[in-house]
Amino acid sequence: MFKLDLYKLITTSVALVLSSTLLYGGSDTSTLPGKYISKMGAVDGGVIYPRKNGTYAAYRYNEQSTKGVNFGRIPTANELKAWDVDIMPDGTGLPEGEGSVSDGDELYEKQCASCHGEFGAGGHGYPTLTGGNQEKLPNGVIKTLTNQRIEPGMEAPKRTIGTYWPKATTLIWYIRDAMPYAHPKSLTNNDIYAITAYLLAQDNIVIDGKKMDSEYVLNKEKLMKIKMPNENGFYPNIDGPDGVENVRKFFSDRAKNIGAGTRCMKDCKDLSATGKEPTIMKIDNEITDVVPPYTTVRDLPPEVENKLVSKAEKMYNDACKLCHSSDKMGAPVIGDIEAWNKVTQKGFDKVVHNAIDGVGGMPPKGGFENFTNSEVQMIVEFMIDSSKKKH
Amino acid sequence: MANMKIKAKEKDGIVGVKAMFTSVMADKEEAEKKKIVSEYIAQIIAKNNGVVVFEVTASGFMSENPLFKFSYKGKVGDTLEITTTDNSGKTETGTEKVS
Repeated sequence: MFKLDLYKLITTSVALVLSSTLLYGGSDTSTLPGKYISKMGAVDGGVIYPRKNGTYAAYRYNEQSTKGVNFGRIPTANELKAWDVDIMPDGTGLPEGEGSVSDGDELYEKQCASCHGEFGAGGHGYPTLTGGNQEKLPNGVIKTLTNQRIEPGMEAPKRTIGTYWPKATTLIWYIRDAMPYAHPKSLTNNDIYAITAYLLAQDNIVIDGKKMDSEYVLNKEKLMKIKMPNENGFYPNIDGPDGVENVRKFFSDRAKNIGAGTRCMKDCKDLSATGKEPTIMKIDNEITDVVPPYTTVRDLPPEVENKLVSKAEKMYNDACKLCHSSDKMGAPVIGDIEAWNKVTQKGFDKVVHNAIDGVGGMPPKGGFENFTNSEVQMIVEFMIDSSKKKH
Repeated sequence: MANMKIKAKEKDGIVGVKAMFTSVMADKEEAEKKKIVSEYIAQIIAKNNGVVVFEVTASGFMSENPLFKFSYKGKVGDTLEITTTDNSGKTETGTEKVS
């Protein structure tokens, strides 16, 4: 979502620059090179900062020393304001606005239904937003969320707004910043409230003990009153300054909080009969007959001397070896220095020419017509090289 | 959870209907596997001003919470009434004004 968003920003800014140069032709001082034109959506809300030589930029000129390790600078009030755009679960940052379920219905059909399905029922590869059984177990956990798909054919947990989303307020944030997928941030605040109202109505969410009918109008105050079915389904509480401590406390008592026993890696006693410790798991069908056998010794395999066979040598082995490996056929034997000295006296080009066209008892290209001339030359080079005095 | 969602919109004399019914749509085989009671919509009848315009017989072959689309000749202001009957004979009715 952020990529798309940035892409939009970049393309619009390019278009802005182009159009401004075309319109004013450079006569306006605001289009002079080095001048930064503030625009909507800039990282700090469109504020410009003076730089050296009377120019402006989107960022404040950093006057800190660039030597050694620094810790940056304190953000300006404008930058903080531009970054602090999230909507907290408690409703901080919620925009003003209102929208009815029936308005949301129309908007949903136009903007959302193509991916999320009619009535939010999913089915197009994008998240299902509505449906799912909101029935709870006696301990307050929504039944469908306890499903585990540990083997094929089993039910998966259904995570929709009704069964999973813990706070209605953050729906507004997500829809505002990320949806519609192709052009986020294009909806007005009223549109967002209307779509949220529609989705909550489809999920049978109740406000003040009442279901939302098609004329129901949702606003900020009403939204903050909503208690979602899965509000208490998330643990430990990671919000706020105590978040890290909460998590640490939660996982320090693994046996109680996540039903796992004390970790044991060797000489474990099976205490499953007591009902407190889980059964010790062992590998059922261990494969032992492997080559090389399993070992805990850390050593490298013995090094094998790697004899490189060049392409030319390979071709020689295939085509020329039959005659050139012995003197029975009258051909100069590979490795016979004197015989090859005689051959090379004719000159390298002549030798290659003979190899291609044939000479004496040798057929053209040794009888292998599919060799190219350059391949024949490579073979000849290899044979001459192999028949020189080794230093 | 009895719930039926209906949308009926008229365009050029044709009413387009989208409807979603709430049912687990589990036939006998599936119900045995999931250890639940078999429950599925067996028949759907749609009436426009009392005249039957759509009727189907269904079973567990359809997925959970089935979604239907159909269209018929009608006009704005007509009353569309859809009745579903499940395998145990339980009926549910939903009405919607064509807009």
